[in-house]
Amino acid sequence: MRKCFLIARSNLRKSKGQTAAILVLVLLAALMLNLWLMLSTDYKANFERYHDQLNAEHVTLSVDGDSEELQNSLAQMLQRDSRTADYRLDSCMHMTGALPYNGGEMSSWFVFLEKQAALTRSIGQIEIVEEGACSSGVYLPMLYKTDDIAIGEPFEISIGNHKETYTVCGFFNSVMMGSHNCVLTQIVLTADKYAALQAAGYAPQATLCSVRLNDPSDALSYEADMKSAVSEQYPNITMVSNCYQIVSQSRYISQMICSGIVSAMAFFVLLIALVVIGSNIINYIQVNLKNLGALKAVGYTARQLIGALLVQFLGLALLAAIVGVGLSYLVFPTVNGIMIAQTGIPYAMRFLPLPLGITLAVLGGTVALAVVLASRRIRKIEPIVALRSGIQTHNFKRNHVPLETAKAPLQLALALKTTLSGIKHNVTVCITMLVLSLVVVFSGLMTENVIADMEPFLNLIVGETADSCISVQADAEDAFLRAANADSRVEKIYLYSSLNVSHAGGAELMATLCDDFAKVNNQDTVFEGRFPKYDNEIAIAAKYAEENGLAIGDEIEITANGKQEPYLICGFTQISNNLGRDCLFTRAGYERLGTLTSTSYYINLTSGTDIDAFNLAMKEQFKDSVNTTINIDTTISGSASVYVSLMTIIVIAILALSAIIIVFALYLLVRAMLNNKLRDYGIMKALGFTTRQLILQTAASFMPATILSAAVGLTVCACIINPLTALFLRGIGIVKCTFTVPVGFIIIAGICLVLFAFATVCLLSLKIRKIAPRALLAEE
Amino acid sequence: MKEILLSTEKLSKSFSNGGTMQHVLKNIDLQLRKGDFTVIMGASGAGKSTLLYALSGMDTPTLGTITFGTHEISALSQDELAVFRREHCGFVFQQIYLINTMSVMDNVLAAGILVSKDKKALVAKAKELFAAVDISEATQKKFPTQISGGEAQRVGIVRALINSPEILFADEPTGALNSKTGLDVLDTLTKFNEQGQSVVMVTHDMRSARRGNRILYLKDGVILGECDLGTYVHGDSQRHEKLSAFLRDMGW
Repeated sequence: MRKCFLIARSNLRKSKGQTAAILVLVLLAALMLNLWLMLSTDYKANFERYHDQLNAEHVTLSVDGDSEELQNSLAQMLQRDSRTADYRLDSCMHMTGALPYNGGEMSSWFVFLEKQAALTRSIGQIEIVEEGACSSGVYLPMLYKTDDIAIGEPFEISIGNHKETYTVCGFFNSVMMGSHNCVLTQIVLTADKYAALQAAGYAPQATLCSVRLNDPSDALSYEADMKSAVSEQYPNITMVSNCYQIVSQSRYISQMICSGIVSAMAFFVLLIALVVIGSNIINYIQVNLKNLGALKAVGYTARQLIGALLVQFLGLALLAAIVGVGLSYLVFPTVNGIMIAQTGIPYAMRFLPLPLGITLAVLGGTVALAVVLASRRIRKIEPIVALRSGIQTHNFKRNHVPLETAKAPLQLALALKTTLSGIKHNVTVCITMLVLSLVVVFSGLMTENVIADMEPFLNLIVGETADSCISVQADAEDAFLRAANADSRVEKIYLYSSLNVSHAGGAELMATLCDDFAKVNNQDTVFEGRFPKYDNEIAIAAKYAEENGLAIGDEIEITANGKQEPYLICGFTQISNNLGRDCLFTRAGYERLGTLTSTSYYINLTSGTDIDAFNLAMKEQFKDSVNTTINIDTTISGSASVYVSLMTIIVIAILALSAIIIVFALYLLVRAMLNNKLRDYGIMKALGFTTRQLILQTAASFMPATILSAAVGLTVCACIINPLTALFLRGIGIVKCTFTVPVGFIIIAGICLVLFAFATVCLLSLKIRKIAPRALLAEE
Repeated sequence: MKEILLSTEKLSKSFSNGGTMQHVLKNIDLQLRKGDFTVIMGASGAGKSTLLYALSGMDTPTLGTITFGTHEISALSQDELAVFRREHCGFVFQQIYLINTMSVMDNVLAAGILVSKDKKALVAKAKELFAAVDISEATQKKFPTQISGGEAQRVGIVRALINSPEILFADEPTGALNSKTGLDVLDTLTKFNEQGQSVVMVTHDMRSARRGNRILYLKDGVILGECDLGTYVHGDSQRHEKLSAFLRDMGW
C-alpha cells in the first residue's frame, strides 16, 4: 500500500494542473449531487416536519355558514368517517379576494380568523414569526412579507367587491393556508378588525373544518367524499377546500424545478468528470509507458500500479467531494432564499449525513470504476517491450488524410490527422458538447418562453388568460352581459367559471365551465381530442386520465351537488392550476349536475383600455351583484414573476456552470494532447512551424468533434426538449409541452459554443509558446 | 573563393545553471561557405551542438551576431526564426525525430508544404529524393516505427532537403545507427554535398568527420583550430592521416 502511495504522490506532483482541473470537476459534481439530495430528501421532508410541528390539517374545508345545525351536521359527517383521526370546527369568515404581491396582485380564497381564535386552534396552528407593537390590524402569511408590506405599514386588501385597509401587525406561518398555492389563504385579524369586518358583511360567516387523518394518503379521496357528502346535504352551498397532497405538491413546485435541474446537471458534470478521468488515465499510460515498464521490471505488479492510480484519483475525488459537499452548504441558503419565495415554508439548514454518504459513495464508486476500466491496459504491459517502446499507441492500419492527396490546406490537414487519430479525445469532446447542447437548448427555450415572453409559459401553466375576470351573481348575469356586450371597450366576453366536482370513485376535480370553448384565447389547453361541445361531454386532465387509465371515448361518472351524471371524455387537457386534476364542461354540461349561483366572465378589452378603470366601472354599475373583479394581467404578473425570477436565476446559473465545465474539460484534454504531442510539436517547430500555426492546428483538431457534436446535439435536443420539459413538469400536470423552440437563438448559441470552444483551446494551447526546439534536441 | 553563406561575429552563448553562469560559446568568429561540408568536432561539452543550434536559428545567442547572407538572424523573434529555418535550413537529427503518427511521405510533405504551395512539384521532388536515398514506394507509405533506423535517417535527410535548403545541418546523424546504416547515411550526405549542397555536421566520430572538407575543432567554447581536408575522395588514406594529425594536435 505504501508503494501505491509513493507512486500516487509522484504522479500528483507531476500533473498539478490536471489534478486541479479534475478536482474542480468532481467538486462541482459533488456540490450539485449533494444539493440535489438535500433538496429532494430533507427540503421536501421539511413540509412534513413543519406540518407535524403545527399539527396541521390533512383536509381543510371552508363551508358557507356557521349555524349550530350546520356545524353539528358537519361534525357528524366527520365522526362517521373512520379515516378521521381528529377534527375541529371554527367559526370564521371567508371570501374570494386579492392582495398586492410581487408588484402585481394575488387572488385567493381568504379565510378570516380572529387572532385569539387562530392562536388557540389545536389543529392547523399558526406560528407568529414577526410581530409589531400595534394592537389593531392584520397578520399575514410570511410569504407576503415584502419591502412594501411591512409591520406598521398600511396594507390594502380586496375582499370580494370591497377594499379594506389594515395596518400590518405581524406575519405568521401556516402550512395549509399560508400561500396562494394552497387555494385557501388564512388572514388573521385582531379582535376589533374582525368584528368590524363581520359588521360590514363583506365576507360571509363560514365554518372552517380542520381534519387530521389516520393516514394522510387518504386526504385526496377524503376531501372529495367530504365535499360530496356536504353538497348532498346542502346543495349549492359554497365551500372551498384543500388537502395535504395538493398543498404539499403545489407549495414545492420551485423545489421540484430546482431539484430536477440540479440533479440533471449533477449527473452531466459527473459523467464529464468520469470521461475526463478515464481519458487522462489512458493518456497517462501512453506517456508513461516506459516508466510503467520500468516499474514492472523492478517488481511492481499491475495490481499495485492500478492501485496507485486508484489511490490517486479516489483520494482526489473524495477530497473534492468533501469540499463540494461543504460548498453545497454554503450555496444552500441562496437556493433556499430563491425557493422560499414560492414555498413560504421556513427551512432551518442542518447537517445531513445521508446525502453526504450517498454523495461520497456515488462519486467514490463511479470514479473507482472509471479508474479500473481505464487502467486495464496496465495489465497487458510487458516490461521489456514497454522499455523498448515497442507497444504502439497509434493505430497504423490507416494513414488518415494523406498529405499527398489531401485537398485541405496543410494546417487543416494536420489538424484532421490529429482529430482522426485521437478518438478518445473526440469521445470526451462529444459528451461534453452534447451535455452543453442540452443546456443551451433548455436555456434558449426558457428565455424565449418564460423570461423574455411569459405568455407561452402562462398558457401552459395557467391555461387561460384574458384582461379581466368579473364574477357576478346569477340573477344579474343577463343584465351584466347586455351591458358588457354594449360596451365598446369589450372585445370579447365569455363564461369561464371554476368550481369543484368529483369523479365518482376517484378524486375531486377542478371544473372549468365555458358557454363556448371556441371563444377561449388559449386553444392549446386541450392538446388531444377537442373541447366539450355538447352537454354530455367532458375534457379531463391528461395526467389524471393516465393515472386512472382513462381514454378519449370513455364514459365517467361525475358527482356534484348530490347528483351523479355520466359524461363522455372528448379530450385531454393540461392545466397546472390544480396539479393535473382538472376538467372542462360546457355550461349546459355542468347544469346537468346543478345550477350556477355565480358566474365568472373572462373579458378581452380593446387595446389601450385601462383594466382597473373598466372593472371599477362595472362594479359601480352592478354594485353588490358583482362578487369580484380581477385584473388578470396584474394577478398573473404577481404570481408568475416568482417563476420568471426563479427561471432567470436557473438559466444564468446553468450557463455559467456550463462555461466552467467546458473550460475545465477542454483544459484537461488540451493538456493531455500537449503532453502527448510535446515531441511532435518540438519537431515541427524545428522544421519551421510557428507557434501560431501550431496553436491554430491544435484548436482546429478539436473542431470536427465540437462542430459535429454541437450540430447533432443541438438538433436532437431541439427535437426532444419539449417532451423532456413536459416530463420535467409532469408533477404539476403538464404532459405535453408546446413551447416555441427558438431556432435562431439555438443556431447563434451553437456558433457561439463552437467559437467559445475554439477560443478556449487557443488560449489553453498558449503553452506551445514555451516548447523550444532546442529543448527537444538537448534532451538527448 | 567560395561565397560566404553564414557568418558569426563574437558569438557567445551562456546558460544559467543553478545561479551560476556557464559560458558555453565564447566570442566565436566564423564563416561558413557555400558548397562546403563543414564538420564541427570536439569533446563532449565543448559546445558543438550549442554552436549548431545557434547557427541554424534553433537557439538565440547571448551575445554577438549571426548573419545569413545579408540578414542578421540573431535579432529575429522565435516565429521569424521558424520562418528562417523552414526557408533556408534543413535538419538531420541524431534521434531522427520523424513524427510517428504520420507516414514517411507525410513527414516529408509536412515540411515541404510549409514552403511551397505547388504540391504536385513537391511530391515529384520527394519521390526523386526518396529514389536517390533508396527508399521504395512501399516504404514511403509506412509509418516511422515500421521502418529500420537507417531507413528512418534517410527519410530524415529527404525531409531536410525537400525545401532545397541553403544549408543542411546534421547533428550526429549516425549517432543512433549501426555501422552499416551509418555508412549509408554518410554516403547519402556526401552525395548531396558533391551535388552542391552545403552541409554543417556535428560529430565526434572520425569516420564521419573524414567526409568533410573543412574541420573545425571546438574546445571549451572556442574554435581551437581548423583543418582543410580538401574534397572527399573515397579510400584516400592521406586524408585520414591528415585528420588524425590535426586531431592529435588539438588534443583529441
